[in-house]
Amino acid sequence: MKKITIFLLSTAIFLLAVNVFAKSVSPALVLDISSSKTLSGTAGDFVTVEGTITNSSSQPLNNITTYLSLADNDSKLPVDLEDWSAEKGLYIGTIDAGQKLPLNWKIHFVKAGTYSLIIVAEVAGNELPQVSSITQFQVSLKRNLNPGQVLPVALGMPIVLTFILFILSYKRRVDE
Amino acid sequence: MFKYIWKKEIQGELYTWKSMLWLIIASLLFSFTSYLLLTNKELSLLDQTELMLLLGQIIIGVALLIVAIDASSIITTEFEKETAESLFLAPLSIKDFLLGKFLASLTLWASIFIVSLPYIIVASLGSGLTLPFIGYVAFLGTLGIAGFISFIFGVSLFYRSTKNTITTSLIVLLILATPALFSSTLKNNAPSQFFSKINPVDNMFSSLDNVLVDYKTAILENWQFILPLIVFCLLMAGFLVFATKRFKNQGIIKND
Repeated sequence: MKKITIFLLSTAIFLLAVNVFAKSVSPALVLDISSSKTLSGTAGDFVTVEGTITNSSSQPLNNITTYLSLADNDSKLPVDLEDWSAEKGLYIGTIDAGQKLPLNWKIHFVKAGTYSLIIVAEVAGNELPQVSSITQFQVSLKRNLNPGQVLPVALGMPIVLTFILFILSYKRRVDE
Repeated sequence: MFKYIWKKEIQGELYTWKSMLWLIIASLLFSFTSYLLLTNKELSLLDQTELMLLLGQIIIGVALLIVAIDASSIITTEFEKETAESLFLAPLSIKDFLLGKFLASLTLWASIFIVSLPYIIVASLGSGLTLPFIGYVAFLGTLGIAGFISFIFGVSLFYRSTKNTITTSLIVLLILATPALFSSTLKNNAPSQFFSKINPVDNMFSSLDNVLVDYKTAILENWQFILPLIVFCLLMAGFLVFATKRFKNQGIIKND
């Protein structure tokens, strides 16, 4: 009797461990950022983040929402996507077993820096989200459109006009 | 004879330091705007053409304001200083008088436009739109400002008072300019769209948008904005003719 109890307990623990292990190594959804190599650019550029979502399970999954998560590597803070992308979340709905769907986000590089990007997917009823691997990209600084040319004009025009004003006033006084 | 009035006004208005000060203020406004637009890190992320549009709107807006204030006083001061009587005793027709004053007000617009040229060139460098930008600011600005000057001169002949003319002109300018700055999403109902189509300020800004942002540089592609502006000019010229006839009937010394 004692042997049977030990056997049953061992079997239960083994099955539980297999179940946990299976869940950790083969998630139901696989996310991937396919445009990771072409993401870097200059502040002001518009780029498209391309990714895929695959249902690797044998069951269809319902109510799936995907969204981007962006973090600034320098400040170690998450970035507010308000200015970066008009399309914050993409609602997938149902994805059939084995089905692979493309994901696209058009984003606007607002500020220079190094960033980490991941795609997150939430399945209704699941406690844990699924995430893609982290993609690092660089946004280089765009100082302005023409700093070298606007400054002389911006400073020069009022100065030139003031100079003309003084000449005219002087000439008028001399004429009188 | 109108040349005499025109020359007198240029000497009296533009040759003085007070009038030159308007141009310096205008240039300071253009300097501040263009420097902010072209160097501010976040604003400069806008498309260059959108910056050009904003600068064009500011140039026309500042010019409208300065010319409106100047045109509001250019005729009425003749009544307030009681110089109108002696002017009309000389062999001078009301037509020459108004034409001379009209050209003097347009000269102020031309001066503001000349001051704005370096800013236009700097802002549009590399965009390939420098010439259309200069051409359309000059053309649209001249049409719109000519219409406003006619309207203000008509009002001046009605009121013969600088204070009332300036107040009326600025209120009308405000009524027309404020909706022109609204985004297209705020103009999605029929009354707003109708007002937008007949509003001269809106037509000037929409045509600039069409040229600079949508790259539709041909006159025919902007005809839907230019035609209402021409109609506005003709209507205001008609209003000025009506006000002039009424002024002639009333005489220089108003009896009411």
